[in-house]
Amino acid sequence: MSDHAVTIRVNGVERSESVPARLTLADFLRERLDLTATHLACEHGVCGACTVLVDGETARACLLLTVQADRSEVTTLEGLTEDDELGPIEQAFWAKHGMQCGFCTPGFVLTIAEMLDDNPNPTREEIIEGLGGNLCRCTGYVKIVEAVEEAVSLRGGGA
Amino acid sequence: MSLFGASIRRKEDPRLLQGNGRYLSDIKLHGMVHAVFVRSPHAHALIRGIDASTAVADPRVVCVLTADDLPAGLPPLPCIDAEETTKPFNQPILAVDKVRFVGEPVALVVVEGDRYIAEDIAGLVEIDYEPLPAVSTAEAAMAPEAPLVHFESNVVDVLEYSVGDAPSALADAPHTLTERFVTQRYAGTPLETRGVIVQWDEPRRGLTMWSSTQVPHSLKATLVGYLGLPENAVRVIAPDVGGAFGVKLQPYPEEIVLGLAAEQVGRPIKWVEDRYEHFLASTHGREQYHDVEVGYDDEGKILAIHDHAVTNTGAYLQRLTLVEPFIGVSMLSGPYVIEHQQLVSTVVMTNTTPLNPFRGVGHVQAAFTMERIIDLVAEAVGIDPGEVRKRNMFSKDVFPLHRGIGNVLAGEIIYDSGDYQECLRRAMAAAEWDDFRGEQENARAEGRYLGIGIGFFVEETGLGPYESGRVRVEPSGQVIVFTGACSSGQGHDTVLAQITADELGVGFDDIVVVHGDTDLVASGVGTYASRSAPIGGTAVRHAAGSIKEQAIQIAAEMLEASPQDLELVDGEVRVKGSPASSVSLAQVAGRVAPGQPLPEGVDNYSLDATDIYHPPTNAFSYGCHVATVEVDVDTGVVTLLRHVVVNDSGTLINPLLVDGQVQGGVALGIGGALLEEIAYSDDGQPQNANFMDYLVPAIGNMPEMVVEHMIVPTPLNADGMKGAGEGGAVGAPAAIANAVADALIPLGAKITETPLGPETVYRAVQDAS
Repeated sequence: MSDHAVTIRVNGVERSESVPARLTLADFLRERLDLTATHLACEHGVCGACTVLVDGETARACLLLTVQADRSEVTTLEGLTEDDELGPIEQAFWAKHGMQCGFCTPGFVLTIAEMLDDNPNPTREEIIEGLGGNLCRCTGYVKIVEAVEEAVSLRGGGA
Repeated sequence: MSLFGASIRRKEDPRLLQGNGRYLSDIKLHGMVHAVFVRSPHAHALIRGIDASTAVADPRVVCVLTADDLPAGLPPLPCIDAEETTKPFNQPILAVDKVRFVGEPVALVVVEGDRYIAEDIAGLVEIDYEPLPAVSTAEAAMAPEAPLVHFESNVVDVLEYSVGDAPSALADAPHTLTERFVTQRYAGTPLETRGVIVQWDEPRRGLTMWSSTQVPHSLKATLVGYLGLPENAVRVIAPDVGGAFGVKLQPYPEEIVLGLAAEQVGRPIKWVEDRYEHFLASTHGREQYHDVEVGYDDEGKILAIHDHAVTNTGAYLQRLTLVEPFIGVSMLSGPYVIEHQQLVSTVVMTNTTPLNPFRGVGHVQAAFTMERIIDLVAEAVGIDPGEVRKRNMFSKDVFPLHRGIGNVLAGEIIYDSGDYQECLRRAMAAAEWDDFRGEQENARAEGRYLGIGIGFFVEETGLGPYESGRVRVEPSGQVIVFTGACSSGQGHDTVLAQITADELGVGFDDIVVVHGDTDLVASGVGTYASRSAPIGGTAVRHAAGSIKEQAIQIAAEMLEASPQDLELVDGEVRVKGSPASSVSLAQVAGRVAPGQPLPEGVDNYSLDATDIYHPPTNAFSYGCHVATVEVDVDTGVVTLLRHVVVNDSGTLINPLLVDGQVQGGVALGIGGALLEEIAYSDDGQPQNANFMDYLVPAIGNMPEMVVEHMIVPTPLNADGMKGAGEGGAVGAPAAIANAVADALIPLGAKITETPLGPETVYRAVQDAS
């Protein structure tokens, strides 16, 4: 199997690597770049744990091949932390107990990041609609919804 | 303000939110090689031969192990036996001559290279199987000509309990009801699958194993036994665990095989289960039906019950498999006074993945069965289901209540504390029961079917035998808490720090909690059965109490005062009545640091205390769920409207976290009530072993949820804590099933099984009309 050269900007840093065609973006991030916040839970695009932003839009890193992400910009959970400071969505998860084991959390945070960028002041129905593709087995989602509402207010949205 | 009882945010979260979690699959070690297990594709087959020569010829292969390569006489996986008779049904570490379920591990392949290459090469191991007839349901397995999973009979154990004289009481009862209630097979399916890394440590002549487990100390003991190594040669580390729910509660064959391979391979070996494997090779739960005969009178009083439960325990008895059949019957009567009970529980083996406890083991089926019975009796006698419950419930004056029944592993059932009737009253009030009846009537007039249902449960929590707690104060003032409990997301760091801060008056941020490492924590049991707060927390409370005593003893010399004149307040030892005269805990710890003579009467060069806490018996939590639903009778779709829980877990350390436990439990219960079922074909082939086809609740499945707490402290530990981790999962299926049944009463539809997916509900409606 021949390798392919890719250049991907990950969390603001340009990374050039040679990868096999079958290497998923998730494994590229986790195994090549040691960015392990992108978690694998189902590996077929259902659970959303591996959600990352590719050129600002959410994508399932387990379904995307690294070669498909060539010349794109990828953001993972690690990229949301600046100078050790938690961003508003992460702050909200902490304040509202929006997480237990934390395994699904990175996927939720990135999904919410995209959601609030598109719609800074979502209704509860819009939040539920927006998070329909992420599974959490610990929380029952109640406090995740509260965390999104808290994040809206921390970001200066809300009524 | 004391931190104990406060809804504070968790210690764990900032690290996880910055992407600095360290789950099993995140760990990389120098020179690491990758392992894949070759598993049986057959539900039942003879192994005629294994040819690994093509695989072994690949230069990237490090080793291939089959049963023949394992030490002779290696015992099978352990099972805690209810009866001596069940011993021969344990699982071999790798399949020997025969496979008995799809997913049973047959060979280990270790490869230089990544997981992709390891899977490629594992595909080269050729196994010659001779398929045998297989069986996947308990009913089929009990039929006269059924294929035998092992030998003689697929019924491998029958457990019996009896109180009173049920046969006579049933014969004399004014009315009887006979029904079968069926709970399906489902599983905990944590988002993180299992995984193991093992590293041979030649200077130590031993190994370190990282495993995504709930019970590192128990795993260590297992490895010591199987590997023939001394205790100091085995270190087990549970890193961050991404959910467990009981699925990571027992030693698994993969852990033992990798432990056995460690020295030969000499390099770190990593194995991470994928989701498909998880569905096949990690334990399932629940599958159990109850055939009941119930005697009752015109007032709705339950006089007697005969219950015959049948559990499909899968192909092998694993460590705690028998807990499901035991608790399923022994906890059947829950909060109700039923004088005459005859309980029989039959254990049946099939060619399916073994059963083992997960979140609410046995209690779920017991509550579903009992709560459906109550509603059917209520309907038959024409009395409100809440009123029928009240008439049958124990009063708050009965505690401690000896139920006259014992339980595997847990001993005699003695209800310790509570007020069931008040819990019921509060839950019905919170659900606006009477108002809902009006709403229901109006909806029916419009051809819409609303329903309301109660699911009351009593649950055994705070299981022994013990847990360890150690508290150490460093001269810097840092307080380190060591616990044998092991978090898989519950928040151990936070709540154990709250207890320590409360006892010592030190700052929450000065406390560090250490768990999940057998080198750092000398002894421990682990986290399951809602035990970590009541048992692990009590051990930490006691250890911190010893620190307090030691600190006062040491400070007596420093403050030139007598110990009885001293108190520990806000992390300082002070002279009572003159707070200016004080020393900090840090100074006290510094005073006993080595390198100087100890104060008189003090004999330890550290401010350090350990407690091993053995609870006298188990604490019984309870709760009342009230669900409201709407059923679309044309499609069978059930929509959840609202879910109320009033829960008594005794004293709460952190209500925010307990709310989270209850809400998460309810979500799992909703999965069991409506969505989740591990399906097999009749010949034992898994039908839905992935998250696309096996449906766990998503956010859109969740109703509005209300969680309230009753707090009746248990007398069993100083803080009055009972377990909180599982009740949400226990009460929800019963409440939802009763709500669906209630909605369909006008149509006469019979609701006796879960999951209540559209097809099941639609069929129930059609069968009634």
